[in-house]
Amino acid sequence: MKILNKILFLLVLSILTMSSAWSASDHVYAKNQFGKVNIELKNKASLQRGAKYFVNYCLSCHPAQHSRYKRVADDLRISEDLMIDNMIFTGQKFGELMTVAMKREDAQKWFLGVDPPDLSTHVRAIGPQAVYEYLKTFYADDNRPFGVNNLYLPNSAMPHVLIGLQGLQQANFHASQDSNGSEHKEFEKFGMIKQGSLSEQEYEQVVTDIVNFLAYLSEPAQLIRKNVGVGVLFFLGILGMLAYFLKRNYWQDVH
Amino acid sequence: MSEQSTGLLGWINARFPLSKMMREHLSEYYAPKNFNFWYFFGSLALLVLVIQILSGIFLTMHYKPDAALAFASVEHIMRDVNWGWLIRYMHSTGASFFFIVVYLHMFRGLMYGSFKNPRELIWLFGMLIYVALMAEAFMGYLLPWGNMSYWGAQVIINLFNTIPFIGEAVSEWIRGDFVISDATLNRFFALHVIAVPLALLGLIIGHILALHEVGSNNPDGVEIKKTKGADGIPLDGIPFHPYYTVKDILGSVVFLAIFAFVIFFMPEMNGYFLEPANFDPANALNTPDHIAPIWYFTPFYTVLRAIPDPFLGFMMMAMAIVVLFLLPWIDRNPIKSIRYRSTLFKINLIIFVITFIILGYLGLKSVTDLYSQLALRFTEIYFLFFFMLWAYSKPRSSGFWIGSFIVLLAGLTAYDFLANSSEQPSLIWKTWVIPAAYLFITLLLPQFTNWDSEKQVPERVTS
Repeated sequence: MKILNKILFLLVLSILTMSSAWSASDHVYAKNQFGKVNIELKNKASLQRGAKYFVNYCLSCHPAQHSRYKRVADDLRISEDLMIDNMIFTGQKFGELMTVAMKREDAQKWFLGVDPPDLSTHVRAIGPQAVYEYLKTFYADDNRPFGVNNLYLPNSAMPHVLIGLQGLQQANFHASQDSNGSEHKEFEKFGMIKQGSLSEQEYEQVVTDIVNFLAYLSEPAQLIRKNVGVGVLFFLGILGMLAYFLKRNYWQDVH
Repeated sequence: MSEQSTGLLGWINARFPLSKMMREHLSEYYAPKNFNFWYFFGSLALLVLVIQILSGIFLTMHYKPDAALAFASVEHIMRDVNWGWLIRYMHSTGASFFFIVVYLHMFRGLMYGSFKNPRELIWLFGMLIYVALMAEAFMGYLLPWGNMSYWGAQVIINLFNTIPFIGEAVSEWIRGDFVISDATLNRFFALHVIAVPLALLGLIIGHILALHEVGSNNPDGVEIKKTKGADGIPLDGIPFHPYYTVKDILGSVVFLAIFAFVIFFMPEMNGYFLEPANFDPANALNTPDHIAPIWYFTPFYTVLRAIPDPFLGFMMMAMAIVVLFLLPWIDRNPIKSIRYRSTLFKINLIIFVITFIILGYLGLKSVTDLYSQLALRFTEIYFLFFFMLWAYSKPRSSGFWIGSFIVLLAGLTAYDFLANSSEQPSLIWKTWVIPAAYLFITLLLPQFTNWDSEKQVPERVTS
């Protein structure tokens, strides 16, 4: 009986993880319908705000376990005191990894068997645009455990944690037929049914800041990578010129 | 020339052939003076090898070959190790560049007949290096323990399952477990960092020693050792050092600039060098949407998928590599260089390059009806290319050309009737035109044109 239970659990688990896996193939809305996110890694203020929202709204469940608080503070010019006082809620030390206190078993229970993915790497796998669309397309759906569904990731297990800021929107669908004659729902537009504390533009900025921060967090080296590259290419350019003249000089007597 | 016999160098020379080796392999190794662009890739392959070994050493200082720690240790390298991201990108970009350089190096050999008598062993050493390199890359790809590492290795190791009777046992033996696991990761690490690199180094030494024994080929395919001056030095030869050392320095700097551009500005190369799904950790419960091998394996992966029967497909894929080993005994035409070969040979080679690229492209895509038919057609052309190389080895009668055309076309068509199936049967006949046209061009056109005429090879190299 125990084994049967285990198998059943694994089966359910795998179906759930599969159904909620990020997949861009079955969108019911047009590409770029919700705009394209503008990643500005040079915008320190936006990155700092993003970090603030991230630790407040995301980090309770989603770990960023490959990143250290200190690294984020250094890269984003946040002072040690400010970071420890306002952004570390787990009692961890400044130099520690950004893990979550929540137990994995609890996560599995609360979120229908889905582990909240680690956000220090997952964003690099799916791209920032995916997160941007995901955060903008929560809508009311009484059939879901948390009362919300998501357009980007249908039947997503995550609650709409930014509901207090954005408010709750309702999705209007209309039925349409594709070329094969089969009927399916097509998304039309959102309508706000419960106002949040922010205006639409303000919420847009919050989402952009979060996504901007996550884009940084997925590869912190981005902040300096290209600058170093310019220097390296400049050096190789000069070396190449010297190498060219050296070669030409040596080869003068080859006919 | 006598060795220096005084001073430190003299002391060493009395005990170790230092000056002698320098002369034999550098300052008195005479290389043809007419090397062109294509002759950079040998030294560049050596340069990439050095980059891979050096960056690899630094990666092993921080990497942990443990299924529970591997993924995090790579991220640790990317974030917490000083310049770790640079070391890692050098290594990951280096892997792809190794194959770019080696493919161009092999293509050079095809163009100028560098595998022909007396250089068959150089070619065989080279092919062994290529196979070792594929093993090295495949095992290295598992080490980051990302989800694509995991599932890619799963797919490739499962290929061995298709071997009758012993298949399951073989793949279990390779994995060291029933599934890809810690045991697999640990042994792949051992093989990747020591076993295969040692083999590679030995093979490369063999490759270069064999080359220096017979001397380099050149774009004219003329043996420079046949025309020597009174001093016994080939008239068309120049000492490798300093002439080709300074030339290869220039080539290396240009190469490094391209290499650096990728490392610093596009290390993922739009997902071709570092696949997006590999930024999620290995997860046995979550298959990536689309599993594709990394780009340098995809031509052979397409050959594998082109044949519906798994074991037959596996054999065809192996044959696609084995046939390359046999090249010196397939192309027996005494003319080495493409410059003096027939127009037909040139067309055949161009079609082969296009075929290889299309096979590579198809291997990156999910299977559709159209793609699997195209995969079959270009697999057919891949193998037919080698038949043509053999056929073009000497003058043949009209009967041979027409007979080959009929037999080969009948063979392909018979396969379509017996084994080829598609949800859209019309696709079979539409794509059938591709190999049919190939056979028409390569076998029947010489009946109406002078495309099979070859040029006189000069006595000396042209500059």
